[in-house]
Amino acid sequence: MGDEGNPQTPRRTTRASLSSTPNPKSSTGKLKSCNLLPLTIHDLAYGDESISFNDLISSLPGRRAQIIELLHLLGPLDSPMFPVFVYGGASTGKTSSILQTFKHLKRPFVYCSCITCYNPRILFESVLNQLLLHRRNESNRYSSTKRCERPSDFVNLLQEALHNVVDSLKGNVEKSSSKKSVGRARGKMVYLIFDNLELAREWDKSSNILPFLFKLYDILKMPEVGLIFLSNASPDTYYSDTGYVEPVPVYFPDYTEDELCQILMKNPKNPKLYSSFLGVVLRPFCRVTRRVDELLTAFSSLYQIYCEPLDDLGIVPNEDMKRKLFSHLQPHIGPSLNETFKVESRLSSEASANTNKWKGIAKKVGVSESSNEIDFHMSACAKYLLICAFLASRNPATLDASMFDSTGGSNNKKRKRFAGGSLLAFELLLLLMHQLVSLKNLYETVILPSWSSEKSKEKKEIAEQELLLKGPGTFPLERLLAIFQCIVSVSECLPDEEAQGDGGLEGESWTNGLLSDVLLELSSLCNANFISKGGSCPLEGANRYRSMVSEAMALKVAKSLKFPLAKYLYRGG
Amino acid sequence: MGVENPAEQGQILLRTRLCNPNFIYTIFSDSPDSNYSKLKYIMSSSVTEACNNSALLLGPRGCGKVAILEMVIKDLLHEYPDTICVIKLNGLLHSEDNCALKEIARQLCIENQLVFSKMASFDDNSQFVIAMLRECGLAHKTIIFVLDEFDLFTQGKQRLLYSLLDAMQSVTSQAVVVGVSCRLDADQLLEKRVRSRFSHRKLLFLPPSREDLQKILQHALLLPTESSLPPQYVAAYNKKLLNTLSDDKFKDIIDSLCNFDATFNHLLRFLFASVCHMDTKSGFLSLDNFKTALSSIQRQPKLEALQVVLDIVTTVVKGALKACLSPEMRRKTYCSILELYILVCLRRLEGKEQETTNFNSVMKEYKDVHNSFQTTDYYARNVCLRAFEHLLQRQLISLVDNRGHSQSVEFRPVRLLISSHELHQGLKAYRSCPAILHKLLDLAV
Repeated sequence: MGDEGNPQTPRRTTRASLSSTPNPKSSTGKLKSCNLLPLTIHDLAYGDESISFNDLISSLPGRRAQIIELLHLLGPLDSPMFPVFVYGGASTGKTSSILQTFKHLKRPFVYCSCITCYNPRILFESVLNQLLLHRRNESNRYSSTKRCERPSDFVNLLQEALHNVVDSLKGNVEKSSSKKSVGRARGKMVYLIFDNLELAREWDKSSNILPFLFKLYDILKMPEVGLIFLSNASPDTYYSDTGYVEPVPVYFPDYTEDELCQILMKNPKNPKLYSSFLGVVLRPFCRVTRRVDELLTAFSSLYQIYCEPLDDLGIVPNEDMKRKLFSHLQPHIGPSLNETFKVESRLSSEASANTNKWKGIAKKVGVSESSNEIDFHMSACAKYLLICAFLASRNPATLDASMFDSTGGSNNKKRKRFAGGSLLAFELLLLLMHQLVSLKNLYETVILPSWSSEKSKEKKEIAEQELLLKGPGTFPLERLLAIFQCIVSVSECLPDEEAQGDGGLEGESWTNGLLSDVLLELSSLCNANFISKGGSCPLEGANRYRSMVSEAMALKVAKSLKFPLAKYLYRGG
Repeated sequence: MGVENPAEQGQILLRTRLCNPNFIYTIFSDSPDSNYSKLKYIMSSSVTEACNNSALLLGPRGCGKVAILEMVIKDLLHEYPDTICVIKLNGLLHSEDNCALKEIARQLCIENQLVFSKMASFDDNSQFVIAMLRECGLAHKTIIFVLDEFDLFTQGKQRLLYSLLDAMQSVTSQAVVVGVSCRLDADQLLEKRVRSRFSHRKLLFLPPSREDLQKILQHALLLPTESSLPPQYVAAYNKKLLNTLSDDKFKDIIDSLCNFDATFNHLLRFLFASVCHMDTKSGFLSLDNFKTALSSIQRQPKLEALQVVLDIVTTVVKGALKACLSPEMRRKTYCSILELYILVCLRRLEGKEQETTNFNSVMKEYKDVHNSFQTTDYYARNVCLRAFEHLLQRQLISLVDNRGHSQSVEFRPVRLLISSHELHQGLKAYRSCPAILHKLLDLAV
């Protein structure tokens, strides 16, 4: 897979050490730092000693058949080839297999991933830079050799560059036939490898980039060029308007359980101990996911638990010990199956508020969190806004009046005072109008149906179903502010609560503050993706908002404010 | 490179041959009623009689439209040297008028050893092209415009097509416009003003017939006797190949290949894969090579084609059987159990004829199933969500529309991309599939 990247995170290093993924970018990066000799034609291939066929096969367990097929398709030295399309699920070793194969063959190639080259222009320039042996550095202000945005320019430049490369490779072959030397690129074919092609589908709906890439071989009309496409998605998901000339497909299936075991057993510190560990956990986890990357993250924390009772990690466990360890681990397997995808936070408790905020987002997206505490800082005003947005998204607008009247009615006066102090007059008016309209709706939705209980039950089910399908609703800004006003006025009459809240100190300033402060908080919530800002409604013209927070999260926030959220939540029917 | 394995040399020769797009079409150059002869007649008349012409080459992808055109052009360049100038455009690259005109100007400059200015405006370029057309006409030099992916040039205002065809209305110019398209209705896409200036000569390119197929196979695979290869090897290879070609089992393979896609290109890819799998030790193409090639090359059948495929299975050799399992089914067999559960739940929801389904309704169904059958595989919501996302990534399910980007995945409506039949097949093929899933699926149907 093309998941080479930041080596700082633990996941990456484990993976890298497992598959020892050769990364052309990083290897050339190393070259850059140590010597700044101009690039030669040989830098298009792997510079170091080539690996033997047996090493190649053993370095990638479970991929023997696929590698042999690839070698067949690449063929002997200097044989032309049809474009090849390699596909298979994520984390099935596509990129590693291809790159290792080229390390074995030592043939010149150009590698581009659509992850790093995220638009056509960068992709084109990256290919050209590599072919023209251009290195972006300070002296050329990190610019590319050629500026090229359109496919038409790209084809012209590419043809030129390829002719040069092939010519110099040919000359090189003639020279090297007399004396063989290590570190030379073999053959006179150049291979272009495009990784993560599935991302290119999203680039631009109207653009012809994919048909163009698939047809590149026919357009170039150069037998010395081999094209290899790597993709997560199968060829049938690439069909476009009038189709394209299909490349030769090569399929990488997911790993089987045995193969996974081989991969995971590649270099643990204590193989015996680790294999007994795998014997316990691999089978249940295989039922959930077969992706190596996901399994590794899950296993790293489980293995620590597994080793807890041991003093000496180098021990060779006997049957008795295994049983003991298993009984120690067993209670942890079930829960961790349900949080396979938890991102382990290695942040210290003094982590800055900023990173904490990100964790909060991760949690909102779906990482389970066992504790009831929210572990990020947020001003009380923002928390109230979050709750208001949640309520506005979940509750039907028609119920606002009744929800907030039951408790808010008593301190109506207070609200008015408060509202008058800080809000613009038209919003107050709006609030009143809102209540009038909603009274009528309340009658229709709540009072009328309750006459016949059966009907209401049916309706309740339908409403529930609808809620499941539709998800959180959208709401205009005015509604959010109205609810905000009501809630704040309610919580204001509970004096003990303010002091304990997170924003206790600033409490005074924001309750009496300006509307603009509240709007500022809202916009930062939008930026953090807690609330999403949708397109404007064509009739009303104003932006509509939608809460992106899960119920569990909202309840947690409410709890931290001691706000009785459940009381205000409408549960259908 | 000195003494080498003759088998390897032979393989390289075959690969070079197959990768050359024009090679296999050379056998069609002799017959008088072939597209080659017709096209050559049209184009050579324009060269010799100094008239303007236009033609459309239509036909499905991979039937050799461009290859035949190139052969014709090559022959004409050989027969009438220095009187032909070829300008090649591709709809994928030059569908924009401005860009196309620039490219024409660039190629004209190269052909005529002129200096091309990148900064020239659209107006400059169009005047230059018209001037060049006139000059060439006066010098009795024919300009051939090849417009590949012709249908893409008809998007937009068609200014390029109009100005080209309009310039050809004058007596002085001498040019041929050849459009190549895989859309059979390409001429209907033209605007009225363009269509009226276009001569409606259309050449239809079709996949090869059975007799042609046999000819092509021999033409492409037999090794030449007069080459650097050792003659004994060539003789042994050719004898073995002819034997294989006349084998009934081989004919079955070719039949199943053509049932999917009978175009030249598909055949070429099949032959390429066979040659790739050739055993370099013995150096012969065996029936097994063709079988493995078929299974590796076979396109993913469309859902409705699946039934046809299964019928073929019974007649075709056993080796081809694997090929008939669509990639989707093969993919599915490697899904984790949880993903299968989600698929089955989706299928059940489909069976209930619900209008829209999304992750939440699937979860509800999953919970119901769990409650009524007490399955062992019950996972938390976020694990299911991840499995759901895996399915989306594998394109076994897809989002119904691309609207509502602001919504999170859980709420966006999805659709199952495989039929219940395929799901059944997949479950059967999956050894460790829990029996409960079969039961659930049966209940749904």
